Amino acid sequence: MSTEGQESQKEGAVSPHDTDARPAGGDTPRLIMRGIVKRFPGTLANDGADLVVRPGEVHCLLGENGAGKSTLMKILAGSYRPDAGEILLDGEPVTLAGPQAGLAAGIAVIYQELDLVPDLTVAQNLLLGHAPSWGPVVRRKERAELARAAIARVGGNFSVHTPVRALPIAAQQLTAIARALTADARLIVMDEPSATLGESDLRTVFDVIRSLTAQGRSVIYISHRLDEVMEIGDRATVMRDGRSVAVRDLATTTADELVADMIGENRELVRTTDRPRPDGPPLLEIRSARSPGLIDIKGIEVRAGEIVGLAGLGGAGRTTLLKALFADTRATVSASVDGKDLRLRSPAAAVRAGLALVPESRKEQGLMLELSVARNAAVTALTRPPWLFPRRLGRRLAAPVITDLGVRCSSPDQPVGKLSGGNQQKVVLAKWITRGDIRVLLLDEPTRGLDVGAKADLYRQVRHLADQGVAVLLASSELSELTANADRVWVLHEGRNVACFDPRTTDENTIAHAVITGAAPTGAASAGAAPTGATSTGATSTGATSIGATPPGASS
Amino acid sequence: MSTSTTVADPKSASGDSGPRPPSPRWRGADLVVRFNLVLVFLALCVVASLLAPEFLTVRNMSNLLQQSALTGIVAVGMTLVILTAGIDLSVGSVAAFGGMTVALLIDHDINFVLAIGVSLAAGALFGAVMGGLSAYLSLPAFMTTLAGLTAIRGLTYLLTDGEPAGGEIPHAFQLLGGGFVGYVPIVGLIFVAVAVAAGLLLRGTTFGEYIYAVGSNKEAARLSGLPVRGVITAVFAISGALSALAGVLLTSRLTIGQPTAFNGLELDAIAAVVLGGTNLFGGRGGVMGTFVAVLLLSVLRNLCNLMGLGSFFQMVVTGLILVVALILNMLIEKRGSRA
Repeated sequence: MSTEGQESQKEGAVSPHDTDARPAGGDTPRLIMRGIVKRFPGTLANDGADLVVRPGEVHCLLGENGAGKSTLMKILAGSYRPDAGEILLDGEPVTLAGPQAGLAAGIAVIYQELDLVPDLTVAQNLLLGHAPSWGPVVRRKERAELARAAIARVGGNFSVHTPVRALPIAAQQLTAIARALTADARLIVMDEPSATLGESDLRTVFDVIRSLTAQGRSVIYISHRLDEVMEIGDRATVMRDGRSVAVRDLATTTADELVADMIGENRELVRTTDRPRPDGPPLLEIRSARSPGLIDIKGIEVRAGEIVGLAGLGGAGRTTLLKALFADTRATVSASVDGKDLRLRSPAAAVRAGLALVPESRKEQGLMLELSVARNAAVTALTRPPWLFPRRLGRRLAAPVITDLGVRCSSPDQPVGKLSGGNQQKVVLAKWITRGDIRVLLLDEPTRGLDVGAKADLYRQVRHLADQGVAVLLASSELSELTANADRVWVLHEGRNVACFDPRTTDENTIAHAVITGAAPTGAASAGAAPTGATSTGATSTGATSIGATPPGASS
Repeated sequence: MSTSTTVADPKSASGDSGPRPPSPRWRGADLVVRFNLVLVFLALCVVASLLAPEFLTVRNMSNLLQQSALTGIVAVGMTLVILTAGIDLSVGSVAAFGGMTVALLIDHDINFVLAIGVSLAAGALFGAVMGGLSAYLSLPAFMTTLAGLTAIRGLTYLLTDGEPAGGEIPHAFQLLGGGFVGYVPIVGLIFVAVAVAAGLLLRGTTFGEYIYAVGSNKEAARLSGLPVRGVITAVFAISGALSALAGVLLTSRLTIGQPTAFNGLELDAIAAVVLGGTNLFGGRGGVMGTFVAVLLLSVLRNLCNLMGLGSFFQMVVTGLILVVALILNMLIEKRGSRA
């Protein structure tokens, strides 16, 4: 990969005790956080955390949810005051009394939920609060020029007069970065920038990160996706239980080692390949799903007990396909469940037909955050008689499911909004399990924002459902999760399903290639009408089949 | 401290594995949070009986219940609407329309039971149309019901060209709004019955659970297969019917239909709902709070009357009490969420 920011230090894994010491290289670290302790009522969020970031490096901060990363970053941003410990910026001890002090010291934090004002233009956002002006009158021309320069610095090529709302997510991300840079930041913290970005947009952001580090700025990069971390990072600090447990040089570290550091013990992820391959007639048959300009899908089948993955770049149509099946978007769908044609006019009808959707955003689409865990878990079970005493019924139905899924909550009456992300996602799943009659489970990015342990838990539950005969359609932008958990992986590209792979016989790179280019690998058979039969019998040497004579990727 | 912990222990033993019982101190705070309005209400009653000895008389009490009943009935419907994160500004106009139609129908020698049925149905229809517009076309309920507020008031005037309606009103019908059972006004009983019915609807039926789900997160409710649009249309229809009921009861008490009645009723109703702890953005609250809040507001008004304070002064006091109650609610809620 490109190495503008990587020319500096290469060293083996260091034990956490060495982090106090100045690095052997000699130059002063950009940032030293030493022995940071932060208590909250009932929890010790940081328990002597250490972090050393060098000038011009991309330093990744890793750890499961709740490991103390966000607390440490909020202390760095000045939002929290630490109970103990010291912070040195370029060798100078600093006290960060508030977010303004953090900014003034040259620390810029770009949060996962971008804090831009959607209705204002890029220029207005960039210079919000410090626009050039004569008294109360804004000097618009000057502001536009400053904004243009800032956008150019991060390699953006969109108009600064566009409202932020109208920009694609990647451009919004660049705007947020550009804003951090107008404050002349020496140290930039990026909290999961990839959570909302597709693959190609992520490249743009990576290029910007590399040019930042080439200018000598330091970047702290927080992400759950290890492949990204391995690609962009120079070194990584792994946190667990509020402490820094390892500092590693990423050039000499494997992803497995990082995972081991994060979760402590070697927790085994059960892989699909350990399961017997389901056979039998397809339970869900999608003959075609069409929505002009968005998707044009033909011939996807899912057997009872089978987990079929949907891979693709952002905008490839995975979400649209799932929404179309669930009758949540305008689309012409010809599909059947168990041989019976689906004629669905609303999500309510889809639920009655035995479909269940775990939507993309659990907070906005999946859960009633103020309501209790039990009431959320039981909500889908209430659309049938008896129509009385929903809360008692809900508690009775939900209790065993909540225990089964291992939802960690103080009681079933706790508001679901107070749970951690992983537990919230389990409640979304519980919602469908309590209903008891689902045949087809549609999962849209179910592990977004979850840590390694929570992901493993979630997939264990999904597999458990599949073992009971549910047909699962799983959309994810993390290919490794698909290959680890799906029986087959369909690749979607620009709204079409271009190839189907068997992850047991195909390596990830082949699939990744199809995901990016949209072209089925050479030698793939044009299997026409019976793609699933072809793959499951292992008819082709690459384990791939393609649909349609011309792969749509070839035309562009 | 230690004694109260042992009290809590047997209960925790019954709860299996995971859930830890909240600490006793927190539980006390929880009770205060839950019933803070009742406490304020009782305190106000004590103050009132100290300041004005007539306050605790039977006659004053029944008077008080009679005065608060009509607003209360409307506020119960408003509670359902606000729980779905909607708002109904048209209640005053619908109530006036209901009162006028019932008077006109009875005047045309139609059986009063049938007349009441027709006017309640008209109220429900108005509500369903406004709610349906907001649910099916995604128009803001604030605007559809604001349009309703004007249009239905105009319609009410058009019925008689702005004149009061009525004439021979049967005695049985008059009893409904002006009668007493012992010392208890019949309207008061109707108010209590409506509140209890709404409470049962909310807590005891799945439709009630739909209302909370829709108000908490409409999108999640829809994707869980709930009939979100139907629920919204239905709560507006209920609110419309209850408003019409209030109008019918007023006509019964006054023995004529007044097209100008119930001006500004929506604000009184919304004030009671919000004071009762129902979240304006939906999903949290209940009828119990609204019930107490309605009584609280009318005790306040009653107290001002007994003390001989003018109505201008009353308005100021009511406004101030509202603000103080909201601040108190917010503080208690914040404290609760931190615990």
